[in-house]
Amino acid sequence: MSAPVSPIRTPLIEGHKSYHDITEDLVSPTEKIPGGTWVIAFLISVTVLLFGITCILYTIWTGIGTWNLNRTIGWGWDITNFVWWIGIGHAGTLISAILLLFRQKWRTGVNRAAEAMTIFAVMCAGLFPLIHMGRLWMAMFIFPYPNTRGPLWPNFNSPLLWDVFAISTYFTVSLLFWYTGLVPDFATVRDRAKGFRRKIYNFLSFGWTGSAKHWQRWEALSLVLAGIATPLVLSVHTIVSFDFATSVIPGWHTTIFPPYFVAGAIFSGFAMVQTLMIMTRKVLNLQEYITIEHIESMNKVIVATGMIVGVAYLTELFISWYSGYIYEQFAFFNRALGPYYWSYFGMMLCNVISPLLFFKKSLRRNIKFTFFMSIFINIGMWFERFVIIATTLARDYLPSSWSFYVPTWVEIGIYIGTMGLFFTLYLLFVRVAPVVAIAEVKSILKTSGDQYVGPNALPHDDHDDHGHDADHETHEHVHEVGSHGGTDSGDGTMLRSSAMAAPAVAADAVTKTEGVEKSQEDKSSQIVSGTAEDDLKKVEGIGPKIESLIKDAGIKTWTALADSSPETIKEILTAAGSRYQTHDPTTWPDQARMAAEGKWDELEKWQDELDGGKLS
Amino acid sequence: MKKSQTGIWIGEKDLNHDPEFIKQAQQGEGRASLVDAIGKDNALAEKEGGRRDFLKFLGFGLGAATMAASCDIPVKRAMPYVIKPDDIVPGVATYYASSYVKGGDYCSILVKTREGRPIKIEGNALSKVTHGGTSARAQASVLELYDVNRFKRPAIKDADGNLAEDNSWAAVDGAVKSALSSARGIRVVTNTILSPTAKKALAEFTAKYPSAKVVTYDPVSSAAMLDANQQSFGDRVIPSYRFDKAEVIVSFNADFLGSWISPIEYAHDYAKTRKITSVANAKMSRHVQVESHMSMTGSNADNRIMVKPSEQSAAVAYLYNEVVGGNISGGKINAKAQAAIRTVAKQLTAARGKSLVVCGNNNLGEQLLVNAINSHLGNIGTTVNFSNASLQRQGSDQAVETMINDIKRGNVDVVIFNDANPVYDYRGGARLAEALSKVKTKVAMSFGPSETSALCNIVAPVHHPLESWGDAEPKRGHLSLIQPTIKPLFPTRQAEMSLLTWSSSPNVNLNAEQPYYDYLKSAWQTTAFAGQSTFATFRGFWDQALHDGVITAGNGASIASGISNGIGNAASLLAKPSSSEMEITFYETVNLGNGQFANNPWLMEMPDPVMRTVWGNHLAIPVNFDGYETFVGLNDLKDGDLVELTVNGNTMTVPVVQQFGQMDGTVALALGYGRENSGFAASGTGVDVNGSLGENGGYTDYNVSSVSISGKVGEDDAHASVQYHHTMGVRDIDSVTGEEFNADEAALAPGYGSVPFVKNIRGFQGSLVERSVIFKSNLSVLADSVDEMKHKREEFEHLNEQTLYPFEEYQADKYKEGHHWGMHVDLNACTGCGACTVACMAENNVPVVGKKQVNRHQEMTWLRIDRYFYGDAENPNTVYQPMMCQHCDNAPCENVCPVNATNHSSEGLNQMTYNRCVGTRYCANNCPYKVRRFNWLDYTTADIFPANQPTVNGEEIPYGADDLTRMVLNPDVTVRTRGVIEKCSFCVQRIQEGKLTAKKERRALRDADVKSACMTACPTGAITFGDQNNKKGELYKANQSPLNYIVLEEINVRSSVQYTMKVNNRDESLDA
Repeated sequence: MSAPVSPIRTPLIEGHKSYHDITEDLVSPTEKIPGGTWVIAFLISVTVLLFGITCILYTIWTGIGTWNLNRTIGWGWDITNFVWWIGIGHAGTLISAILLLFRQKWRTGVNRAAEAMTIFAVMCAGLFPLIHMGRLWMAMFIFPYPNTRGPLWPNFNSPLLWDVFAISTYFTVSLLFWYTGLVPDFATVRDRAKGFRRKIYNFLSFGWTGSAKHWQRWEALSLVLAGIATPLVLSVHTIVSFDFATSVIPGWHTTIFPPYFVAGAIFSGFAMVQTLMIMTRKVLNLQEYITIEHIESMNKVIVATGMIVGVAYLTELFISWYSGYIYEQFAFFNRALGPYYWSYFGMMLCNVISPLLFFKKSLRRNIKFTFFMSIFINIGMWFERFVIIATTLARDYLPSSWSFYVPTWVEIGIYIGTMGLFFTLYLLFVRVAPVVAIAEVKSILKTSGDQYVGPNALPHDDHDDHGHDADHETHEHVHEVGSHGGTDSGDGTMLRSSAMAAPAVAADAVTKTEGVEKSQEDKSSQIVSGTAEDDLKKVEGIGPKIESLIKDAGIKTWTALADSSPETIKEILTAAGSRYQTHDPTTWPDQARMAAEGKWDELEKWQDELDGGKLS
Repeated sequence: MKKSQTGIWIGEKDLNHDPEFIKQAQQGEGRASLVDAIGKDNALAEKEGGRRDFLKFLGFGLGAATMAASCDIPVKRAMPYVIKPDDIVPGVATYYASSYVKGGDYCSILVKTREGRPIKIEGNALSKVTHGGTSARAQASVLELYDVNRFKRPAIKDADGNLAEDNSWAAVDGAVKSALSSARGIRVVTNTILSPTAKKALAEFTAKYPSAKVVTYDPVSSAAMLDANQQSFGDRVIPSYRFDKAEVIVSFNADFLGSWISPIEYAHDYAKTRKITSVANAKMSRHVQVESHMSMTGSNADNRIMVKPSEQSAAVAYLYNEVVGGNISGGKINAKAQAAIRTVAKQLTAARGKSLVVCGNNNLGEQLLVNAINSHLGNIGTTVNFSNASLQRQGSDQAVETMINDIKRGNVDVVIFNDANPVYDYRGGARLAEALSKVKTKVAMSFGPSETSALCNIVAPVHHPLESWGDAEPKRGHLSLIQPTIKPLFPTRQAEMSLLTWSSSPNVNLNAEQPYYDYLKSAWQTTAFAGQSTFATFRGFWDQALHDGVITAGNGASIASGISNGIGNAASLLAKPSSSEMEITFYETVNLGNGQFANNPWLMEMPDPVMRTVWGNHLAIPVNFDGYETFVGLNDLKDGDLVELTVNGNTMTVPVVQQFGQMDGTVALALGYGRENSGFAASGTGVDVNGSLGENGGYTDYNVSSVSISGKVGEDDAHASVQYHHTMGVRDIDSVTGEEFNADEAALAPGYGSVPFVKNIRGFQGSLVERSVIFKSNLSVLADSVDEMKHKREEFEHLNEQTLYPFEEYQADKYKEGHHWGMHVDLNACTGCGACTVACMAENNVPVVGKKQVNRHQEMTWLRIDRYFYGDAENPNTVYQPMMCQHCDNAPCENVCPVNATNHSSEGLNQMTYNRCVGTRYCANNCPYKVRRFNWLDYTTADIFPANQPTVNGEEIPYGADDLTRMVLNPDVTVRTRGVIEKCSFCVQRIQEGKLTAKKERRALRDADVKSACMTACPTGAITFGDQNNKKGELYKANQSPLNYIVLEEINVRSSVQYTMKVNNRDESLDA
């Protein structure tokens, strides 16, 4: 589409949702009996998890000798997986904390799931530093606690100890943050629940009533936690990178690691969010909340961080050459051309080359491609960690000790097992908590939806929008007193008893059918492609539905519309049914002419005067 | 009622002393005490079973059950001495001088015992033969004592061929004596006997049974050499070689530093000519090795002249012609070798009287020619001495053949094997085995099960030398005693006693407490004591001899100065060069000999010095650079590939190793593996090649020409090598530019063949040789190299000064006070023999992990010897670098440990606290030298549950899990549990002991108080350990050498170990 003017963003939530719809859509997965897809996915995850547990128990029972690590390569898949999972765990807090501080409202659609992902990923990550220990039963030695072994505390010089603190802090803050967000939503679930379920959710929501004071405290806490979490996003992976950066091993001893690790973490974290979100929105029918815009936004982050990572890789290569230091030069030579060359090229391909495809907007907005890429990037990031850890250790200073390493089935089993753990937890999460933050989504429904007049905006004269509009207005008032979610009074259900009830219900119905019948993907592809057809919705008064009616009647371009008489259009509308009778197409041909001639400023000015496309 | 004294009351009534309550309480049934109740007759019976009774019975029942159960608790014997022996102080080690003797192997040793059990072998510095050095075999012999597979009681085979369990010595003696008395022919088969007293006992036996003949052979034969010396000099002995007096050494296939005759002695002498004390007047011997496979000695040589195994004779003949000027036609050898030998001949001649030619081939003709060469060069009496001639080889190949024929003719009724195993280690073992079925009585005086003992019907198990009395005469005039350091662990009997018993000797009192001790003493009284004049009384002489372990008694007999009989028919005895495309050399390894040492896990796990493989023999195949980017092995084989090797019609499947320095068209394979029924470590490990050995003029020929090798037929799924990368800059010609360049550096990129975009990528030049791991030089350019290294080191030091945390300010003076332990390793003295590695395992309780674990690079050795090839890719030089914890004063491992498990002592030691270690392996990752070892599995069987213990080589219980093997553990060193890191501690237990000794004696610590295990084991004195702050110490002296460098100095870890630059004396003109 060649629209020269697009001052305002596309709506964050599509499908003309009412507050009630939001509640309905987002809470229902917790109330319904899970579908077949979920059950199958859950069974697979649990099976994989059990296999992973078996492998872990076998390792603990028999020893690390069940792994193929050796005297030269002390860390392999274990720490690779650890760093990989920690990296994945970065997106959630970044989305919820940093984007909150930056007032990025699109985050609300994905932050809940992303935070959950963070927590589960950190749990998976935290597993590895524990089980990679030769003597897990002595793991308490790494904690500073008063003990009877004299003044023997951990070694505060050790980056591994910093990890302990960094990760546990990060996990705690992320968990608090996530749970804080969940409290009002649990209250919403509770209000709709009955019996024992109600009691559980009542407990989980800490007796949330939705009072103004609650909201005020909730907002304040969210902000404080966001403030705490923001430096953590940067610090955790920085500290993980210190594990390597503070060593003497060529290829590890690098000052570039902290920023490079953080960028990589965000990169892989967003990729994992994409993987999960694309599946979740499909399975739970949340296409209107997690829209193509979200996916595109995240793809932009991915392409940006991917380029940072790419620059870091190239910088490393340059510095190793520039250093004139034989060991450093060899370390990088070995990464690229040594026996593990495939992991290096895999890393380069997946992390540097392929994300560049996201510069093309159509690919950025292509769901299947994004899904494929998200998996691809996570494979690439796994390779990156493998390259840094195993490949580097395999050939360091003394050639006599060079070695090679291939994991045993136990190591692979543990890795797959963490996948099982992750997806088991995630699948449970989507059944017990709203996957999208209800309260937060409601807060953006109007502000960035209704005021929007871009190509996707619904015409105000549209029949559906009357109800919607009214609903919003009423709601705006409610919102002002600070109860836009959580209680019955907040989600619009009770508003239905007002005079607006009937149209609102009607609007619901239409919105739903529309949402289902015409998916967002179709719309967007239409917008993007814009070949022989023009976007007739530019004409005030024409919404998507009417546009398709008119186009079905053979009027596909602005010029064609301009050449049609209002009567002809009226006939088309009448033929479509009584619900379109109220539409007045008088100004449409003239508007269309302006559009066809490119007089956008004039058109906009005129449209400001018009009321829903009607002469007022 | 008086008020309760205790202040305890029950309820308000009690508190108020309500009379009614008190009355009730006094009569109360439940209040009678347990004692009262039990004391009264029928008291229990009268009562109804109440709560208290239940508790009573429960209590009694529990007590009774506990008592009963506790009776079955196994008794742990940790009893103090009732009368403490004078020489045992708990916790203090006692050393006894003794000798390690096995066949012809000899080493004068001190046996370290703790609480009456031998745990470690040290060299005896008083010996004029071994000079305090040891070998890996000697070091490992202490483990053999505790071999779980050794014979534990005498046994006679029943009709079914099973060894009976309960035979007594009386029964065995009866059976043997009756067999002997009626025998038509008796043979005693033995390896070389060094003991004069044992020979005396044997003489008594043969005197008693005139039909008895002694058959002496050696597992690896030197019979031709002995016969040649007999022919040339009239003395069937090995002369005493003086490698320290030789300026030019030419060795034809003789592995004199590793396994040939007396390697400890030779290595000690050899190293004297290799150490460089001053740069300005640097002098070294030139050592030229003529061989086809890279032997350990060849790897130490300056130049190797490569000739095929079948060309050895021709090469000797060619040298003879060049040196002596004869005209013996030995056949053609390759042109390169010819030119080289001509040059060498000139150098030999130039060094008249200071040169030495030795030959390890078992070929009479060659040996005769070598004698003639040495004689012509005037070496007899200087470098080849018949005074103090060596007796370490006495065997005869023909003798065994004669015996086999005698048996076949049915003339032999009794064969006694004196701990010899000819069925395995004689080339005609299979024929012998077949023949033995004709012999009625076969007696194995054997230490453990072997292929031979399996065929015997009587087993008369012998003591381990550490349980025996005995003596040895390794060289004429050098006598050495063997004394027991532990009471025999099992009802075994030493071979000499068995022979004396069976011969009903009148000279031995069988009822004496130690009959052989008396016999030995009286023998010494008449011989050694009589031959000396220092001591007036035998008592004094004996005590001194026993204390010192060795005595020197003159030069021995004959001194030959020249060839008395000429070269005779030598020319006709030479082997002819073969036109075969592929030839093979079978060689003896440092660790296993010809299988005598195979059932010793320490030796099995000791890497072959050259191949770096363990647990099995590997076929060494030649490897060549393709001129561009890859090293290609014979038939495109890679390390660990299995091939079918056919030698003399025998086909065997062996794994291969690409061996640098292996001549094209030749391969090599080690002897001593593939044993059967010989204990868990030996059985089934590797392949047996003794059946494939050749024969030439009645002598076993270790070079065989009719060989074929298949392509790859499989892969060894547990190819166990401790080193994957073998080179440090080998040079070859670049096929593109035609210039010489570093081939291994080019080969570092895998070179993916058909993958187009990576096809032309090669490794970059300098990636190996620029590493400050090995500094090397040639004698001719030594001064320049030292200067270059000095500049490099200055640069490193400059780099190290560029730091935010100046070392000087906070650490430089930290170790100036007190001790600062350090080490110095002279790479020019190190021959790679591996004695130190085994000593380290013995001293520090380092576990044996087995082949599978080594395959995964999970070996546990604290001290390893890195071996790198450099120089000419086809014919490289070698450097051995013992690598252990460098005890860095700025140690990267220490600051990364999250739990402070590894830290630095005030004396500069990098310490490991096993109890504290949680096993993150971060320290191991961060160690630049990769010397830290992790207990991947429960190697020491310390876990409560045995289910997770790994087995080493398919034995029934894990290695070291039994009480017998555990007896070898050093009680001063913690046995590490699974999941912790361990590493070289600089033998901290020895440091502590030395410090305590000095403290007790109220004096400063002396250099001699503390010596690490590796240092004392080394036969060449390559390792010096000590206090860097002791300006009078050996270490301080060694550390001043301008040849010294620190490995990876530029990373500023401040290591405490210094190495010397490796210098060779390679003569480039020999390569032309």
